[in-house]
Amino acid sequence: MTPTPHSAPSESPPRGPLSRRTLLRWGALGGAGIALGPLAACAGPTGAPGPGTLTLGLNRSLVSLDNKLNQFDAAVTVQRAVRQALTRIGPRMRPELVLADRFEMTEPTAWSVRLRDGVCYSDGSPVTVEDVATALRMYGQVTGSFLLGLFPELPTVEPTGERTFRLRTQHPVPVLDRLMANIHITPAAANRPEELQSGLGSGPYQVVKANSGAGEYTLGRNTRYWGTRPRVDTVRVRFVPEESSRVIALRSGEIDVVDTLTPDSADQLTGLPGVTVAETSGVRMCQLFYNFRKPKGHPLADARVREALTYAIDGEALIRDVLTDSAEEAGGVVPLALEGAVLAGEYTYDPRKAKALLASLGASDLRIKIIWESGEFAADTSVMEAVIDMLQAVGVRASLQQFEPGGDILKWRQGRAGDWDVIGNGYGSPTGQALTVLQGMYGGTAEKDRTGDAFMGYIVPRVERALSAAAMEVDTTRRNEQLAAVQRDIWDTWPSLWAFAPKTLLARRDRVHDLRLLTINSYDLSAVRLEG
Amino acid sequence: MLTYLARRIGQSLLTVFLTLTTVFLLVRLAPGDPAAAYAGPTATSADLDAVRAKFGLDEPLVNQYGIFLRDLFTGNLGTSYSFHSPAFDVVMSRMPYTITLAVSAIAVTALVAVPLGVWMARRADTKRELGANVLTIAGQSMPDFWTGVMLLTVFAVLLPVLPASGFTSWSGLVLPTVTVAVLQLALVSRLVRREMTTALAAPYTTVARSRGVAERALAWRYGLRNSAVPLLTALGTRFAALLNGVVVVEVVFGWPGVGSLVVRALATRDYPLIQATVLVTATLAILVQLLVDLAYPLLDPRVRLGKAA
Amino acid sequence: MTTTVVPAERPSAVTARDLARATATRQQRSARVKLWAGAVCTALVVLPVALAGLLPLPGANEQDLSRRRLPPLSEGHLFGTDQLGRDLLSRVLHGGQVSLSVGILAVLVSGIIGIAAGSAAGFFGGWIDTLVSRFLEAQLALPLLMMLLLVVALFGPSVTVITCVIAVAQWPEVARLTRSLVLVEREKPYVAAARVLGLRGWTVLVRHVIPNVVRPASLVVLLLLAQAVLLESALSFLGAGPQRPFATWGRIISDGQAYLTTSWWLVTLPGLVIALLVVGVNLLGDALRDRTRRRKGA
Repeated sequence: MTPTPHSAPSESPPRGPLSRRTLLRWGALGGAGIALGPLAACAGPTGAPGPGTLTLGLNRSLVSLDNKLNQFDAAVTVQRAVRQALTRIGPRMRPELVLADRFEMTEPTAWSVRLRDGVCYSDGSPVTVEDVATALRMYGQVTGSFLLGLFPELPTVEPTGERTFRLRTQHPVPVLDRLMANIHITPAAANRPEELQSGLGSGPYQVVKANSGAGEYTLGRNTRYWGTRPRVDTVRVRFVPEESSRVIALRSGEIDVVDTLTPDSADQLTGLPGVTVAETSGVRMCQLFYNFRKPKGHPLADARVREALTYAIDGEALIRDVLTDSAEEAGGVVPLALEGAVLAGEYTYDPRKAKALLASLGASDLRIKIIWESGEFAADTSVMEAVIDMLQAVGVRASLQQFEPGGDILKWRQGRAGDWDVIGNGYGSPTGQALTVLQGMYGGTAEKDRTGDAFMGYIVPRVERALSAAAMEVDTTRRNEQLAAVQRDIWDTWPSLWAFAPKTLLARRDRVHDLRLLTINSYDLSAVRLEG
Repeated sequence: MLTYLARRIGQSLLTVFLTLTTVFLLVRLAPGDPAAAYAGPTATSADLDAVRAKFGLDEPLVNQYGIFLRDLFTGNLGTSYSFHSPAFDVVMSRMPYTITLAVSAIAVTALVAVPLGVWMARRADTKRELGANVLTIAGQSMPDFWTGVMLLTVFAVLLPVLPASGFTSWSGLVLPTVTVAVLQLALVSRLVRREMTTALAAPYTTVARSRGVAERALAWRYGLRNSAVPLLTALGTRFAALLNGVVVVEVVFGWPGVGSLVVRALATRDYPLIQATVLVTATLAILVQLLVDLAYPLLDPRVRLGKAA
Repeated sequence: MTTTVVPAERPSAVTARDLARATATRQQRSARVKLWAGAVCTALVVLPVALAGLLPLPGANEQDLSRRRLPPLSEGHLFGTDQLGRDLLSRVLHGGQVSLSVGILAVLVSGIIGIAAGSAAGFFGGWIDTLVSRFLEAQLALPLLMMLLLVVALFGPSVTVITCVIAVAQWPEVARLTRSLVLVEREKPYVAAARVLGLRGWTVLVRHVIPNVVRPASLVVLLLLAQAVLLESALSFLGAGPQRPFATWGRIISDGQAYLTTSWWLVTLPGLVIALLVVGVNLLGDALRDRTRRRKGA
C-alpha cells in the first residue's frame, strides 16, 4: 500500500489530497491560535522586578483585598495599603489613628470619634460617617467571619456632626480602639455583606490589575491620597505557595520581600549577600495542648500528670535545633509580646523527674496520641517527631496522627470524633491583646462545651469568671492586674505539654528600605522605599 | 459520519455527567467540613451551622444533588467558598496557565521525540540507539516532583538563570515544560520507533527504496506518515491528560494552573470549585480526544469513522 | 562486501562479522544489555531494602538533635542525616520497604482485578464487555491524581487504602491487555473442543483460557510496578501517605524540600534511589517484553 489516498465512497466529506492538506493546515493554524491566545494574555513582560516595582511573595493566596472573610497576617499589609480603618495597631501594640483623628472613650460604653479632615477615597470622594456605619453593619451580616469573633459585640454608630460620631456598645469594650483597626471603610453605596471583589479605598495605593484566582495583584500609587505620598510606584503581589520556591525567588532577586518565613527558610537566608532577615517577637502561640475532655480518673485529667509530662520535653533543644532559634519558648500561657501578657511560669527539662513523677502517680505506662493538622505551625512535623522521641525516652509511648488541611480535625478538637491526648495547635492574635487570646482559649464554659466550643474542653469556672470580669474592666491598670493573676492561675492548671511563640520573620532584598516589621506581622507599605 | 459524531458526543456527555456525579458524592462522603475551612479555627458551632445553612450543606444529600443538577442545567456551577466568586470564573482564570503549559509541553515533546524516534528507527539496535533508549527510559523513571526539584536546584539555585516559580515571564515556562516533557519523551519516541520500524520493513518501502528514493525521504515521507495515526493518538491522549492539570509539577513550580487549584480546593473542601474544575477539565480532555479521533481520516485516508470494530 | 578468509567449517559467504552486525544479533544484544542493566539497577535497590533490618545501620527513627543535617559520608552516615539527625540511608531503606510493599501489593491486586474483568469481558462479550469497556473509558477521562487524593481523604491515609487506591488506578491497563488477548484466544480450537466436551463457560475461561493469557499479561506487571512506586511517592509527596513517623520515599523528599538550598542530599539521594529502582524495573520489563515479542514473531 502506498500513502496515496484512495477515493473513498462514503458518507464522510470529500477528502481529496488537496482538501485534506488544506484542512490540516487550517487545523494547525487554529491550534496555534488557541495555543497563543492564552499565552499572550497571561505572560508578563519581565521576570525580575523593575527599578520602581516592589514585588511581595505571599505564601497564602489573597483572594481579595477585602478582609471580611479573608484575614491572615501578611494579607493585612496589602489590604491596608488599599483600604483603611479608623485606627491601626502600631509599634508595641499601641493603637494609632488613621482615618480618625480622635478616638476616645467618653463613657464606659461610648467612644467619641472624629474623622480626619480631608480624608477621601481614590476617586476624590470624601470618607463619611455613613460609610463607617454601613461598614459596621455589613461586617455584622457576614456569615462565618473570623473577625466578628474578636468583637464581644459590634458597636452602633450615632452621628453627632458631619465628621463626628459616637460608637456605642451595650457593655464596656475597653479595647474597641484596637478592634476597630479591623473594620475597613468603603463607600457606603458599594459595601455589601460579603467579601468585596473590587471597589474604592482610601489607602495610599489603588488596584491596577487583579487576578484573584491566581492571587496576583498589581497596585499603583493613589494620586489623590490624603496622606504622605507613598514612595514606591508599583507594588506587585504574588502568590508563591511553596516555601522553598519563595526562598529561591528571594535569593535570585525575583521577589523583594517574603514574609511569615518558616524557621528553616530564615536559616537558609540568613547571611546571604543582598538579603536581610528581620524578626520580631511573635504574637502566635503554638501549643501542644492537652485534651481537657478526659474522664475523671484518666491520668491526663490530673494536673500533676500533665505537669510531669512537661519535664520530658527538652524545649531548649527544640528551639535551638528544630526551630533554629527562630522561636521563643513560652514563658506563660500567651505570647509575651501581647499587651497584658505576663511571665507566668517556665518549662523545665528534667527527664528523670518526669519518670519519677509519672511512676509515683501510677502513670508510667501512659500511652499518648498526638494529633495536628499539617501546616498548623512552622516545622510542625519535625517538632512532633522530635516530641514523640522525647516522650519515648521517659517511657511514654506516643503515636502521631497528622491531618491534611480540609480534613476532620475540627471534629476531633470538639471531641466529636476519635480520642486523643495532645493536640498541636497555633493560636493567632490579630488584636495584639492578651485578653482576646485568653478568652478564646481559657474562657470555656460547660454551656459552650455542649456544642464542643470550649477550646479543647478547657473548662475552669474560676478562670472563666476572672476573665469575664477583666474584659469589662475599664481601668487599664486594674485590668492588667486582674489579667496577670488569672494567667498565673491558668499556668498552674498545666494546659500544655509544651508551647512556644514563633518569631515573626521576614526577609527582604537590600534594595528595600524603611520596611518596619510590626509585631502583628504586618508593615506600613506606604513607608517602604526602594533604592536604585 | 453524523450519526457517528452524535453517538460520540452523546457518550462523552454521559461520561462527563457520570464523572461529575462521582465527584459530587466522593467529596461529600469524604471527611472534612467546608464550613470549618471557611469560618476559620475560632468559629463556634453556631457559626458553622450558619455557614452550612448558607451553602445549603444542611440539606439531605439527595436534595443537594437535585439542586446541583438544577443549577448545572442552568449553567450555574455555584460560588467558590474560598474565592467568594463564581467557581466557573475561578477555574477559567486558571485555565490559560494550564493550557499554556500543556501546549508548550506537548510541543516540546513532539519536537524532540519525533526526530529522536525517527533516528532511533533508522539506527535500530546500534549502541548509540541503545544509549538513547536507556536515557529516555531514565527520564520516564524519575519521579516528576524530583525531576522538578532537581531542575530547580540547578537552574534557580546553583546557576540562578531561571525563575523558581509562577509565570511572570516567559522564562518561567522553561522548567515546568522540561519537567513534563522529560516524562513523556520515552513514551512518544519509542512509539515512533516501533511504528517506523514496521513501516520501514513494509513492502511499499522496499519498492520505494528500489526506485531510488533517498533513505532520509523514505524515513520521513513514507515511514513517519504511516505512523501519524498512532502518534497523534499518543500525543492527543497525553495532551488531554495534561489539561487535567499536572498536579505535582504545578505544585513544585507554583504554577497557577488548575492542578494546583484542585489541591487547594481539596484542602478547603471547596465543593463548587472541585466540581467546576472537574467539569471543565473533563470536558476539555474528552473534546481533545474527540478531535483527535475526527482527525484520523485527515491523516490517513484508509481510516473511516464509524466503521471501526 | 569484503571477503575475508572464510573458515573451512563455515561454507557460507556470511562472515562472523556479518552475523554480529545482523539485526537479529543486535536486537538480541540490546535485549541482553537491557536485561542485565535492569537486573543490576533493581538489585542495587531491592537487596539493601529487603535486608535493611540486617545491615549495621542506626534505626530509621533514631534521632540525635545534635547531629542534624550532616552531609553524606560524615560520622558513619553514608547518606548523611536529616533535619532531626536521623540516618538518611536507614530512612531511605526502611521507607523503601513501605513503598515497595505498597507497590508490589498494588500490582498484585490490580493484576487480579484486571485479569478477571478483562478476561470476562473478552470471553463473554455482551453486557459484561460493554460495562467493563465503559468503566475503562470513564476512568481515562478522570483526573487521576485528584481522584486518588479524594479517595485517600475519604478513607484516611493508611497502607491498605493507598495500596487499594493505586490498584484501582492501574487495573485498566491489565484489563485492556487481557481483554485483547482473550479475544484472540477464545477463537482457538481448544476452546471449541472444551465446549464440545460439555464444559461450561466459566470453567473454560478459568481452567483453559486464563492460564494461556496469564503469562503474556504478567509481562506488563513489571512496568506497572514501576508506575506504582512512582504513584505512591507522588501521593506521599502531596501529603497523602501513610501516617508518620513511617518513612516513605515521597515523604522523605517532600520533607527535605524545605532544606533545598542548604542540604541538597535530603532530596537528591532518595530521588536517585527511586529513579534507580524504577529505571531498573522498566529496563527489565522492556527487555522481557522485547524477548517475548521476538519469540512470537519468529
